[in-house]
Amino acid sequence: MAGRKPKVVGFCCERHGMDAAVLSARSGKEFDASVRLVQVPCTGRVDGMHILKALEDGADCVFVLGCLEKNCYYDTGSIEGRKRVEYVKQMLSEVGVEKERVEMFNSASTNAWMFPEIVSKMVALAKKLGPIGGEKQ
Amino acid sequence: MKAASIQVILCKCCTELPAVLNIERLRKLAEESCNVVSVMMVDAICDGKGLPAVVNNAKEAEVDRAVILACHKKDIDPALFKAYRRAGINEFMIEIVNIREEALLPHASEPERAQLKAETMLAASLARARLLAPLEKQTEAMKTKNVVIIGAGASGQAAAHAAAKTGAHTILIEKTGKSLKAPGIVMPHSQVVGAKGYGGNYQLTIKAGDKIENLDAAAVVIATGGGWTQLKGPLAKAVKDAMPLYKLHEHLQAGSVPKGPVVFVDTPDPTGKTMKVQDYAWDDTLETALQLKRKARETQVFVIFQEMRAFGLSELAYKEAADLGIKFVRYDKSAVPKIDPKEPTNLIVKDFAQGDVLSIKIGTLVFSSIPANQDNQAIADALRIPMSVDGGVRRGSIQRWPVTTPRPGIFVCGSALFPKSNEVAKAEGEAAGSMAGEFVAKGEIEFGGSVAQVTQEKCSACLTCIRTCPYEAPFIGTASKAEIKEQLCQGCGMCVGICPSKAIELHHYTDDQIMAQARELLGGDF
Repeated sequence: MAGRKPKVVGFCCERHGMDAAVLSARSGKEFDASVRLVQVPCTGRVDGMHILKALEDGADCVFVLGCLEKNCYYDTGSIEGRKRVEYVKQMLSEVGVEKERVEMFNSASTNAWMFPEIVSKMVALAKKLGPIGGEKQ
Repeated sequence: MKAASIQVILCKCCTELPAVLNIERLRKLAEESCNVVSVMMVDAICDGKGLPAVVNNAKEAEVDRAVILACHKKDIDPALFKAYRRAGINEFMIEIVNIREEALLPHASEPERAQLKAETMLAASLARARLLAPLEKQTEAMKTKNVVIIGAGASGQAAAHAAAKTGAHTILIEKTGKSLKAPGIVMPHSQVVGAKGYGGNYQLTIKAGDKIENLDAAAVVIATGGGWTQLKGPLAKAVKDAMPLYKLHEHLQAGSVPKGPVVFVDTPDPTGKTMKVQDYAWDDTLETALQLKRKARETQVFVIFQEMRAFGLSELAYKEAADLGIKFVRYDKSAVPKIDPKEPTNLIVKDFAQGDVLSIKIGTLVFSSIPANQDNQAIADALRIPMSVDGGVRRGSIQRWPVTTPRPGIFVCGSALFPKSNEVAKAEGEAAGSMAGEFVAKGEIEFGGSVAQVTQEKCSACLTCIRTCPYEAPFIGTASKAEIKEQLCQGCGMCVGICPSKAIELHHYTDDQIMAQARELLGGDF
């Protein structure tokens, strides 16, 4: 489908994830507008259901952005978040959806350049894979 | 249930950028949206001047929740929430949307998409705002006014003085039996071995001598400081009489000067696999080298380092050091200093800046290193606070809470975090002591709000939440179902995400609220 804009949802943790996004914006970095950020208190809060519902509601890709694993504000939060994402990936591959559509990232709140990289990676993937169940470009 | 009535505030300071965002379009969209009863434009919401008008408008329009389109939530003044509370609006009924950093700044080159994104974000936050519920925080009185300070070093003593000024009862716990003057009670030969409770009401288990004692504490300050180490690796084999920095300092205080040339190295083992932050030379090396050089001008002094950080004004010491003729040699990890195989009293270093290979004769080898204190792990386990990768205690946030740990009521200062000089440790001790005193002076703790809650009927008592929670907040209650101790809950929601029965709910971040926001965000085509 020509002219279709990709849709990417990012679940960002309140502590480092969102701060990284905000810092990259403040330091003058531009990233693709297709990304939609949802704030959660910790990536451990992200439920498989949230990711699957987002995919069902029309997202092409979903990413979860949390603290660095050894520096998580809630100690084990981003490790829990990664487990949740791995679980969803496995579920997706079982139903025949590309598991790359869901990804977990970790970033420090002082890392301004990582967030635009994550976004461009996920948006490129969304463009490549197209909508779920649709034709590949 | 009464339908939601929402007040929308557009912060001009954050959202007005005429080239990118058409604020009138946003305003119109807000006015046309369902449940919105009042739309207001404010010059700058973070400036207190606009607040009375906002609150009066909220009162007149009889709204029960607000959506604020502004910038980052953490940068909004808490005065805003206080003003709304006076107007009878709960702080958890206010939704702040970061239009500035999520739509405006990063998409400035695509104004049309930025506009559509801002409009979608408004719709999504309205959808979330409709689902918000008011939450009340509860209070509990503190049982004691005790501030327990672990470690009576430079930072610990500074913390005790600062805490005592605020009227708190200070109790210093010291591992050794050294005599010291500090306000309050000093417990020599004692260690913390266990802790129960939560910020404001901790019950510490203390091993004093051979006895085990219990101690109530309202706040805890960790001031364990650093530890000491020996020279390691190939250097240790070749150089037998190397001394740590503090020993040289003691010698200088006593008036004796070591035989030159004196070589300072920044780590006890330059060939070690990983250089941790503890291994780097800090400004105390610089100070001691200067002291030595001032005492004995003719002694040659070399400082060999990979990374040296002087704190604040102590950077001026570089200039004095250069004037006095102290030689600085920076080396790279790829060419670590080693002993000359032909001449075992010489050290071979490749200067990173010049590229020259230098051979330095060692008179006295001094190594500066403050490794992490071995006791940190035990204390962190007892108090259930996170550790840093380097083995220090971790602070909440380097910018916002530099002497606070993520757990309320526990503060940390000095070299317990990572090695630092005496002055900095004292300053941090004062800060931590004052904060602990302030915490205790409140006399009561606030808890609740955005915490998890178990729906007892759904719980199957599988213990998953108990295993997952890093704060040990969930427990099995009298009804053989999980319950959550609100005082311990930090509101991370890990138990909520993992609960297989979906029996736990995190207030303010419920499944409905998160998914409604995501759905609305995906509705917009931009």
